[in-house]
Amino acid sequence: MLPKTKSREIWVVLAVALFVIFGLPAMNAFTSEGSWLHVSNFTITVYGKYLCYAMLAISVDLLWGYTGLLSLGQALFFALGGYMMGMYLMRMIGDLGQYHQPIPDFLVFLGWSTLPAFWKPFASFPFAMLMAVLLPGTLAGMFGYLAFRSRIRGVYFSILTQALTYAACLLFFRNSLLLGGNNGFTDFKFILGHDTREPATQRDLFIVSGIALLAVYLFCKWLTTTKFGKVQRAIRDSENRVMFSGDSTANFKLFIFILAAIIASLAGVLYVPQVGIINPSEMSTDKSLEAVVWVAVGGRGTLVGPIIGAFTVNAMKSWATRAYPDLWLIFLGTMFILVTVFMPGGIIGLPAQLRGVWQKRIVRKRKLEAEPQDGDPGETIETAKIK
Amino acid sequence: MRPLKFFLTLVVMLCSLLAVYAEEDAAVREKLARAIVAEGPEQPKLVGELGDSGSKLVRDVLVAWTRDNVFLYDAAGTKIPVLLEDQTDADGKARAINIADGKFLLDDKQAELRFAPNDLTSVDTDATLRGIIQVTLDTLALADANPDARQNAVLKLGNSKKLKNIPVLQARLGKETDPAVTRAINEAIAMLQLDDADPKVQISALQQLARLKSIGSLDMVKAIAENKTAPPQVVAEAKKTVSTISAHIGAVNFFGTIFRGMSLGSILLVVALGLAITFGLMGIINMAHGEMIAIGAYTTYVVQNIFGSGFAFSVNLPFHFFGHPVGFGLSVPGMNATGWFYESYFLFALPLSFIMAALAGLVLERLVIRFLYRRPLESLLATWGVSLVMQQLFRMVFGANNVQVSSPRWLQGHFTLNDVLLGYNRVFVIGFAVLIVIGTWMLLTKTPLGLLIRAVMQNRDMASCMGVRTARVNMMTFAFGSGLAGLAGAFISQIGNVGPSLGQSYIVDSFMTVVVGGVGSIVGTVYASVGIGTSDQVLQQVTGSPVTGKIVVLVCIILFLQWKPGGLFSIRSRSLD
Repeated sequence: MLPKTKSREIWVVLAVALFVIFGLPAMNAFTSEGSWLHVSNFTITVYGKYLCYAMLAISVDLLWGYTGLLSLGQALFFALGGYMMGMYLMRMIGDLGQYHQPIPDFLVFLGWSTLPAFWKPFASFPFAMLMAVLLPGTLAGMFGYLAFRSRIRGVYFSILTQALTYAACLLFFRNSLLLGGNNGFTDFKFILGHDTREPATQRDLFIVSGIALLAVYLFCKWLTTTKFGKVQRAIRDSENRVMFSGDSTANFKLFIFILAAIIASLAGVLYVPQVGIINPSEMSTDKSLEAVVWVAVGGRGTLVGPIIGAFTVNAMKSWATRAYPDLWLIFLGTMFILVTVFMPGGIIGLPAQLRGVWQKRIVRKRKLEAEPQDGDPGETIETAKIK
Repeated sequence: MRPLKFFLTLVVMLCSLLAVYAEEDAAVREKLARAIVAEGPEQPKLVGELGDSGSKLVRDVLVAWTRDNVFLYDAAGTKIPVLLEDQTDADGKARAINIADGKFLLDDKQAELRFAPNDLTSVDTDATLRGIIQVTLDTLALADANPDARQNAVLKLGNSKKLKNIPVLQARLGKETDPAVTRAINEAIAMLQLDDADPKVQISALQQLARLKSIGSLDMVKAIAENKTAPPQVVAEAKKTVSTISAHIGAVNFFGTIFRGMSLGSILLVVALGLAITFGLMGIINMAHGEMIAIGAYTTYVVQNIFGSGFAFSVNLPFHFFGHPVGFGLSVPGMNATGWFYESYFLFALPLSFIMAALAGLVLERLVIRFLYRRPLESLLATWGVSLVMQQLFRMVFGANNVQVSSPRWLQGHFTLNDVLLGYNRVFVIGFAVLIVIGTWMLLTKTPLGLLIRAVMQNRDMASCMGVRTARVNMMTFAFGSGLAGLAGAFISQIGNVGPSLGQSYIVDSFMTVVVGGVGSIVGTVYASVGIGTSDQVLQQVTGSPVTGKIVVLVCIILFLQWKPGGLFSIRSRSLD
C-alpha cells in the first residue's frame, strides 16, 4: 500500500513541477497581456518567491519532520545565503549607485573610500556561491557539533537555535559589520550580466528556482528512503534506542543539520534576486517560526507537505495582508494553534485523520449496539480522570 | 519683534511668580523697594543686605533689574519701583505692580494705571552694581530652602573660575547644616582656589580635592597637571590628585555597573521566575510568556488611566453584520485622583497585573496547553501562535505605538551613595524581586499546594494515581507562572517602554536564564539571572556597545552549556529523557 502511494506521489509532483517550471514561464512569455492564459510578471515574481519558501520549508521539515529537531535557526541560514548573493549583486552594481562610486552606496555613506578586503572576492559569482554553501555549512557544523556533542535536544535545541538566530540578527543590524546595517542590500542591477528588473531575467530565475526545488525534493526523497533516512526517523522516534544500537546519533544529526542549513541557504540565494532586497529582519526567529508554520500546515514528515504548506500559507498571507491587514496576524496565529492542537498531520494528514475519526465513531456505535444498557466502560474511566 | 516676544515671555514668567509670592513678607518688599530707589554708596550696601532675605521675590526682582525690566514711576516727586504685568492690552500697555506692596498702581480715581515699557524709565544699573546684584543672587541661591537647589548653586559657583566667589561660599559654609552641601561647598572653594596665584594655596586646594575625591574637578586638575608654566610642585601634586580621582571614578563606575547589573538581573529574575515554573517545572515552552509580561504592563497602564482621566478604546473589525459594522470597545470612567491617592495607583496595579496575567494564563491553559502536555515541541509552536494573536490584539486595543506609563513620585528620583547613583525604581525592583523569590519558594516548599505542584511536575501519572487532581494543579501552576510574568510586566512599565512587542525583547533572555540556571531549579534561576544581568552590564561597559555586549553574552551562554549541559543546578536523574 505505502510504496504505491509514494510512487504515485512522485508522478504527481513531477507533473506539477513540469507545469510550473515550463508552463507558467511560457504562459508569461508567449501569451499577450489580455489573454486568459496570460500569467503576469508580478505573478511570476511572487510564485518564484514561494518556490524559495518551499525549499526553506523542506529544510525545516528535514530537521523537524524527519529527525525531530525543531530548529529555529533556519531563517538565519536562509538569510546568510541571501547575504552572500546580495554581496555579489552589490558588487555588480559597480559605479551605478547613487554616489557613482565603485563601492556600494552604504559604504560610501559610512565614510569608506576603498572596498574592505572581505568584499573584494564577491565580484566573482562562483566565489559567492561557494561562500553561500561554505558559510552556512560551517556555522551549522560548528553550532551543531557543540550542541549535539553535549546532547542538547528537544526544546533546548530549539531555544539555543533561537538564541543563535537572535544574536546573529543583532549582529547584522550593526553598521560596523559593513553589511548594510538595518537597511541591508537593495537596488540590485545585474545578475550574471542580465538586468535583474527585466521580466526575462525574473522568468529565468523562476525556472532556476523551480528546478532547484525539484532537485531538492528528489534528493530528499531519495535520502529518506535510504538506510540513512531510516536512522533519521529512528532518531526522531527514539533517540536512546538508536544510541544503544551503536549508531552515533550526534553524527547523523550533525550531517542532517548541515544539509538543511545548505538547502536553506540555497533557497536564500535564489530568493534575494527575485525580491530585490535582503536585510537583517529576514533572519529573525519569527521568520524561522513562520517556516515551521508552513511545514505544520502542510503536513510534517512528508516532503510534499512543506511545499503545499509554503504555497497555501503564503498565498493566504498575500491575500489577507491586503484584504484584512489588521487581522492577518490573528488569523495566522489562530490557524497555527488549531493546526498544532487538532491537526498534527497538517493538510496532507487530514484525510487519514478524518478516516480515523470516522472509524472510531463506527466502532463506538457498534459497541453501543452490542451492550446498550451499560454504557461505555472506557469512557467512564476517562471522565473520572478528567474530573 | 523677537526681543519684544522674549521680553513678554520673561514678564509672563516673572508675574506668574509674583502672583504666587504676593503674600511675601512686607518688610522684604519694603527693603527691596528702598534698595532700588536708593542712590550713591547706600545702594550697594542695601542690595548686599538683601542676600540674607532668602526670598524668591527678591531673586526675581533682582534678575529683572539686571535685565532693565524694573521701572520707576514718578508719583508726584516720590519714585515708586514697579514691574509691568504680562498681560498687555490692545495698545501694548500693562498694569504696573508696585514692588513695595505688591499691589497694582492706581490713579486718583482708583483706576488701574497702564503703561507701555517705553512710558517709564527703567532703573539704571552700572557694572559695579550688577556685580553686587550677582553676588546677592548667588548668596540667595545658596540660601535656598531645598538642599538640591543649594547644591546646584554651589556647583555653578565652583565652576565659575572667579576667585571673588570664594568669600560668598565661605560665608555660606558657616551657616550650612546639610552635610552633602557642606561637602559641595568645600569642593567648590577648592576648585576656585586652583586658580589662585599662590602655589601653596593651589597645593592645599589640590589636596583637598583629592581628599574629597571630587569627580567634577577632574578636568580642571588635569589642565593644571598638563600646564607647563605652572610651578613643578603644583604640577606634581595635581598629577597625584588626578590619579586619586581617576581611581575613584573607576570604583564608582564599577559599583554603578554592578548595581545596574543587579537591577537588570532582578527584572530578568522576575521575568524568568514565571518561566522557571511554566517551563522548568511543567515542561511547557510558553512562547506567549512575553505577552503575559505585556499584559501586566498594560494593566498598569490601564490602572494608571483609571486613577487619572479614564480609559477607553474601541476596535472596528472590517466585517459587517447585516449592514452594521462589527467591533468591540470599552470605556471606564476615570477617578481623576490627585496627590498621594494618584501616586498610589502602582500599589493597586501590582496585584491587578498579577491577577490579569494569571487569568490569561488560566484561559490559555484550558484552551490550548492542556492538549499538549506530552508534546513539548508542539507547545512551543501553539503558544507562538498565541503570542502572535495577543500582540496583534494589543496593537488593536492600545495602538501600535508605545504607551506612556509614568512612575509614581515615590519611585522617581535617586540617591547617591559615595557618588554611585542609585535610582529608587531600581532599588525597589531589587527589593521586590527578593520578596517574590522568597514568596515563590515558600509557596512551592511550605504549602500543601506547593507539595501538589511538585508532585505533579515530578511525575504526572503517579500523582494522578495517588488521587491528585492533576488537571487542576496544572491549571493553577500555569496561572501562577503567568501571574509572575504579569508582575514582571508591572515592573518593566516603570523602567522601560510599554508597547505591543514588549514581551519579545525579554523572551530570549528569560529562556536563556532558565536554561543556564538549570531547568526545574528555582535557585538556579536566581543565580543565572543575577549572573547574566551583571555580565550583560559589565560587557556593555567593556565593549562599549549594548548590542556587542548582548552578542557576547549569548555566545558565552552557548559555550557554557557545553561545559554544563544541564545548567548550573541540574537535577540529577537516572532516567534518560
